[in-house]
Amino acid sequence: MKLPTDILKMYKEIHGWVGIISGLALFIAFYAGAITMFEGPLQQWASPPTRLAPAPSLEQTPDLVAKVLAAHPEAAANYTVNLVIDPTHPARVSWVVAEDAEEAEHGGGTIHYASLTPGGELQVETRGPSPVAQFIDDLHRQVGLPLDHEIAMPVMGAVALLYVVAMVSGLIVLLPSLVKDLFILRTGRNVKRMWLDAHNVVGLFSLPFHIIMALTAVIFAFHDQFYMAQGIAFDKSGGPVRAAMGPAPAQGAAPSALSPLDLLAQIRTQVPEFQPFQLAYAHLPNGRAVVRVSSGDPDYNIRTPLYGLVTADPVTGKVMSVDYMPGRQDGWSASVTSFFALHYGSFGGTPVRWAYFLLGLAGAFLFYSGNLLWVESRRRRERKGGAVEQTRATRILAALTVGVPVGCVAGIAVTVAAARWLGDGATLGMHSLIYHALFLACTAWALWRGAARAGWELPLVACLAMLTIPLAGLTAGGNWEQPPSLMLIDLVGLCLAAMLAIVSQAARRRWRTGPRDSVWGTGASLSAG
Amino acid sequence: MTAITKRPLSSRDWFGKTMAGLVLGFFLALGLAGLLRVLVNGGLPFFSARGQLSMWLMAPVWGVILSFCFLFRSSLRAWGWLFLANLPIWCLTALLGGLRL
Repeated sequence: MKLPTDILKMYKEIHGWVGIISGLALFIAFYAGAITMFEGPLQQWASPPTRLAPAPSLEQTPDLVAKVLAAHPEAAANYTVNLVIDPTHPARVSWVVAEDAEEAEHGGGTIHYASLTPGGELQVETRGPSPVAQFIDDLHRQVGLPLDHEIAMPVMGAVALLYVVAMVSGLIVLLPSLVKDLFILRTGRNVKRMWLDAHNVVGLFSLPFHIIMALTAVIFAFHDQFYMAQGIAFDKSGGPVRAAMGPAPAQGAAPSALSPLDLLAQIRTQVPEFQPFQLAYAHLPNGRAVVRVSSGDPDYNIRTPLYGLVTADPVTGKVMSVDYMPGRQDGWSASVTSFFALHYGSFGGTPVRWAYFLLGLAGAFLFYSGNLLWVESRRRRERKGGAVEQTRATRILAALTVGVPVGCVAGIAVTVAAARWLGDGATLGMHSLIYHALFLACTAWALWRGAARAGWELPLVACLAMLTIPLAGLTAGGNWEQPPSLMLIDLVGLCLAAMLAIVSQAARRRWRTGPRDSVWGTGASLSAG
Repeated sequence: MTAITKRPLSSRDWFGKTMAGLVLGFFLALGLAGLLRVLVNGGLPFFSARGQLSMWLMAPVWGVILSFCFLFRSSLRAWGWLFLANLPIWCLTALLGGLRL
């Protein structure tokens, strides 16, 4: 396909600049996002055995709920009954105490877990399953920024928009040579050519994945603003009102809810194909009590379209809405659900999860290689301009290109491993501290040593960091009851460690023999420059 | 012989074009979402599936405009053309009674 050269040249520049601005943040988002594909198993791997008494049966659950509500009235507004008890859902009844509504909506707050002792006494624990999976999810959603949700989201949205532009401009630049270059990976003396071929082929073949991720990421970042703008411009009822379903109940003593078993029986007669997993009791903004019955595990995800959901009246058991129930949605709802499912890879089961995991890692590679190529083309341009040494900006950018991704990989590895040693004392804050300490140390190291030397030293650090995962699996929490399939996590850690060792070796060779004016050669470390 | 007098495109004007794409592209996306709402959604609750779909429409429209706004010859043209593109969409939405007013 032929395109005018001025358009190509312009989009090449645009691609370079938007890429270099957003590339490092996108690396973190994609690497962490790839890991969230296995949030469930990871949380199970990291979760210590519970201190709670064995969960009471569903027959005894009304007794537990009554005792919880008597001792903790604040739970009445919002509590959950788990129908399936497993290591990541150890308690029959749990509820969240959040500082404010905003925190609660985004998964913050302290979770309380309740059970009954054999003597029938109420037992409440705030220590529960490991928060490390949640930490990685936060890292993914906030592109690695340890900031407040309200500040991080617009930044994430800006990164997502840059990502859209980078994708379109990259495709335009690639179009003219598409047929010629597509199936070629030139691994000759020209190393830059090989990186460019790899960048192109990975980018093109994962293009559908990237279109989905870019557009959904824009929505996830800006949906509040979009709804607000629509409310201001179009909504005659005066702004968004969430899920208004019928009038508020008359004031007076609230009628008591059905017992979980009776409720389940009611649900089964109305929607027989639905497999309930969890009952969430809540109140609509108009004060009406509802119970949201979910199938599948909502804890690993952010929003309802990831699992089936049926809304019912807790008093009568009458189903009020099947908008989120798979198979019962109309075309409009199913379309919206598909956007979420496409982002989260929550369709097609385990094979799709693995495919998304690999596509996520490929995406991380795409942004890393993009940064490398930018640094390399700066070098060429500067050499043409007569410079023998690299400019300061190029050297700093090269150092960040090494330090940030490797710091992210090493930081996540160690903070995951630490979950086993910390046991049930672990908090989100501790995991964040461990991650950021390693991340900042790696970045600072790269800036101090320069890209060339840090280019092989830091992957070695990340390799050792990755090895802490199988080490923690072997040494810590030996008494934890875990299914053998979770060994896969230790195994993936070992594989990634081996890959990082190979990367380190290759970078070391390049450091020894690379051209002197290259940021990857010996002559260009920051301390020497 | 006629020489090609058109100035070649370059990324020099990027700031003005980007701003046009960000601001007017957003309004274009919002207008289209409003048009969709009034066409398919008349009177349904805000968070109904159709309401959500019209919100989702905004991301591709905004993204595409932001990506291609660099093809305008100058930032002035970008602002002008995108403004003209907004007009019929918002007028139609208003005519169909979709605006809050």
